[in-house]
Amino acid sequence: MSLTDSAEVFGSIHETALNDMLHAFFSARPRYLRYGSQAFAPTTTVNETSISAIPFPGIPGGIDWQVTFQIPGVDLFKQSQALPAGLTLGPGQFSLHTTVELCVNCVQRRDDRGNTGTKDRRGHHLDQVTCTKLGVFGIGHIDSWNNSNGDGAVRLRVDTVELVDITPDALETVLECIIKMILDAVLSQIELPLKALRAGAFQLVVTNGPEIDDDRIKVFGNV
Amino acid sequence: MAEIIAAIDEGGASDLLSDAIAAMPPVASSGSGSLGPFTAGYSVQGHFTSGSVDLIAPSTVRIDHLHFDWHIDLSFQIDLDDFLPTFCIPQACVDIPCVGRVCTPRICLSWPTISVSVPLDDFAEASADFGINVSLAGGNWKVQIVVQNVSQLQFGLTTAAVLGLIAVAVTPILLLIPFIGPFIAIAVDAIIATIGIAGLTGFLGPIISPFISGLKIPVYDQPKHFKVLPASGPNDPDVFIELDSVSADVQHSNEDELVLSVDISP
Repeated sequence: MSLTDSAEVFGSIHETALNDMLHAFFSARPRYLRYGSQAFAPTTTVNETSISAIPFPGIPGGIDWQVTFQIPGVDLFKQSQALPAGLTLGPGQFSLHTTVELCVNCVQRRDDRGNTGTKDRRGHHLDQVTCTKLGVFGIGHIDSWNNSNGDGAVRLRVDTVELVDITPDALETVLECIIKMILDAVLSQIELPLKALRAGAFQLVVTNGPEIDDDRIKVFGNV
Repeated sequence: MAEIIAAIDEGGASDLLSDAIAAMPPVASSGSGSLGPFTAGYSVQGHFTSGSVDLIAPSTVRIDHLHFDWHIDLSFQIDLDDFLPTFCIPQACVDIPCVGRVCTPRICLSWPTISVSVPLDDFAEASADFGINVSLAGGNWKVQIVVQNVSQLQFGLTTAAVLGLIAVAVTPILLLIPFIGPFIAIAVDAIIATIGIAGLTGFLGPIISPFISGLKIPVYDQPKHFKVLPASGPNDPDVFIELDSVSADVQHSNEDELVLSVDISP
């Protein structure tokens, strides 16, 4: 069977190269892996993205928090990497594995007693940082766009996340929901151009794909 | 199997190479060569148009009817004395009473050397087999197809027609020469016969052939330090990968495809 099948042009990237590309992206722009509120990340830089603290009445400035991911490793169908029970990699899907570190600034508020007219209005600074690291597995699909000029891009979208060995189950479910939303938001910001996925070779206007198959993202088109 | 694979079938390759050839700048050269007995200076320029592409595994790209449109300005000098009989006005004598016999001198005309400039437009076609050349030069990976063999060059006009054009170009120049009237046809015929078909073919062939035999058509040209994403603000710098290796070949399955294989690293 020919590579191009019924199209004129074929392009494909293997999962190892996709991981190289993700590694290049996150190494150049680590701020897409690290998000922190003002106490952790006062301003957005190339290394970290500043986000809002979690507002809560009675906590001046809100709850400062930080989320840090390791560069995810992606496995395109067919399955090459082991997955925890409950996750299966189906046709057209990818799995990923990463680690997330969640940190909160555990502020101890001062009593008003003994103070003369001054309230506890401390700003954003780190008091006692408490963190936890969690292994994250996920299943997702690729989203894409393309136009008649031959431009286009793909991005990874996360459908399901599985955290291992967290009890009770309800806590695991809550954390999975939060991390799935965050991880999907992180990855969906990254648009990998179709041109890059074929290393700049053979301009094409997409007729079929991009699709995941045989450990690759494949795209078919005409000149 | 390579990390990144791009393939194009024969139909796509025809379009790809057609575009690549159309984007190539015109080629030109100048010099001099033997046009029959004459030494002719020339200035030639032309451009290619692709033909139909046939991919042949493992590493041949054949282009049938590779078309080369060319224009040449020829200039050469013709010593008409080499072609025309010496024209003499014979001595004439008359007897004049009281004067005696008076004779005019015998006057012979020497034919001049004329400069002829001939512009010619024509095309040549050939079928050419190209090999695939991959190189890393100046920080760029380049894949080119490079001519290996060229079939017999076929000119658009017959050589006789080209000789006819030369005759047309020579005639008005000859008309400016005094006393040549009765000899024009002789001169033109003699010049054309002297150049001859062999002379013309021997002249044009070595001028046009190098353009085709030296043809390199770019297929792929990308920096080794390949930009995946451009910078999009102070906190989002360029994203690069390294193209560690590039290879290209023609693969045959149920159809023939030109396949480019690339391995990368972050």
